[in-house]
Amino acid sequence: MYYFYVISNARKCSITLQRRTVAPEPAAEPPSLDRSAVEREPVDLEEEEELPLKYGAKHVIMLFVPVTLCMVVVVATIKSVSFYTEKNGQQLIYTPFTEDTDTVGERLLNSVLNTIIMISVIVVMTIFLVVLYKYRCYKFIHGWLILSSLMMLFWFSFMYLGEVFKTYNLAMDYPTVAMIIWNFGVVGMICIHWKGPLQLQQAYLIAISALMALVFIKYLPEWSAWVILGAISVYDLVAVLCPKGPLRMLVETAQERNEPIFPALIYSSAMIWMVGMANPARHAEPTNQDTGSSDEEAHRSEGSALARDWVEPETQVSSGMNRSYSTEDDLDEEDRGVKLGLGDFIFYSVLVGKAAATGGDWNTTLACFVAILIGLCLTLLLLAIFKKALPALPISITFGLVFYFSTDNLVRPFMDNLAAHQFYI
Amino acid sequence: MNLERLPNEEKLTLCRKYYFGNVYNVCVWGFAFLPFLWLVNVVWFFKEAFVKPTYTEQLQIKTYVKCSGLGFLLWVAVLTTWITIFQHFRAEWGEVGDYLSFTIPLGIP
Repeated sequence: MYYFYVISNARKCSITLQRRTVAPEPAAEPPSLDRSAVEREPVDLEEEEELPLKYGAKHVIMLFVPVTLCMVVVVATIKSVSFYTEKNGQQLIYTPFTEDTDTVGERLLNSVLNTIIMISVIVVMTIFLVVLYKYRCYKFIHGWLILSSLMMLFWFSFMYLGEVFKTYNLAMDYPTVAMIIWNFGVVGMICIHWKGPLQLQQAYLIAISALMALVFIKYLPEWSAWVILGAISVYDLVAVLCPKGPLRMLVETAQERNEPIFPALIYSSAMIWMVGMANPARHAEPTNQDTGSSDEEAHRSEGSALARDWVEPETQVSSGMNRSYSTEDDLDEEDRGVKLGLGDFIFYSVLVGKAAATGGDWNTTLACFVAILIGLCLTLLLLAIFKKALPALPISITFGLVFYFSTDNLVRPFMDNLAAHQFYI
Repeated sequence: MNLERLPNEEKLTLCRKYYFGNVYNVCVWGFAFLPFLWLVNVVWFFKEAFVKPTYTEQLQIKTYVKCSGLGFLLWVAVLTTWITIFQHFRAEWGEVGDYLSFTIPLGIP
């Protein structure tokens, strides 16, 4: 029996959009800028109003690409490598109840029980993490995250590589594999936890999310997976929006301390300054265009809810935690990009992957994919309206589930019948 | 820290130091069997080293990029040779070949 010793943290994505007021120009600015500052003021007001929309559309696209990539990787793997769809009775310790039962009722009961166990593990881990964060046990958190990303980058990718080679019937020797995994892992650790080119970092985060999603797809029993997906969205909703929810507390604590909200475990798109800054000149341009205007930042702070995946690559946990930002402006400059929690990537991919694995039909897979993207759009829209931390899972997962079940049970037989009778509409 | 708030000269110096230190560390670690790291180094700093207008530390960055590039090419040569040898002679090596194999293809000797 295969046990995963790892305790994972599933990241819930919450999205925040905060509006900051125009920052006063510091006195140290050279005189030439002062004049332009005055001139910029009337323009600022107009730009302020336009900004949410401009910001929203561009950043929606910036999020679509990585989410799509992750899902594409997962679906491609599921369709080609049969390992991840084989069920050989192994299950994670978090879902102890088997689904090979005699009656439907028992199966349902078992899946519900599995879900309850899983969600409680997640809740406990989240609360643990929030408590650690509150009491500033940064070293512990950092160590934990490093361990989890180590595991992800080395062990899971080793497994993945092995399965891919077996599928394509290639011979491979240990020294070469060792070199490949060693390189992949070490550069990944460097990129994620230290400094590295932004695109490489993003690629690694996507890779890790995909790996984790594949693990989930393999080891979660059928019905439990769907119930868990539903339950996690509800949990996300509760945890982020309720006043005493752990994720909300996390967000608020980080805001009080003026720290970026768990920069680790977040996928950040383009414009981060601190770690992973590949080309400061390039990044300077967008900010120059917005100088003087209200610094809008879209924070997707995610609640680190914990579930099985602890491997969420914590991107810049060390840099994030160790820097305490003195002014709000620092944060604004840094978080100009859009961030989405890795847990969201993972669960979106799990949904689409499961649809690909069990549905077997491209209609279903595509429908789920479209549903998730629509959900993401809507969530971002809500973010622009409400301007505070929002969970990203509920809407997308709900749409995804609805689309999956309806396509599987209604659309597919319909299309099959039409095709069988050669009736084209 | 917020680079934008620094006056230009300081920002430039800091930037250079950052990159300089970065390049140095990364380059040295490459010696630990990490051609991929060298490749990343080359790709990432290529623009800095060769395309941008000259500045003081650029010469050192250039050296490091060149070294990394050479190291990477060397490793590629070594690995390609080894892989070719292994794939070709795997069957003939018998037991040793199997011992070295991570995956053994089915249906082919």
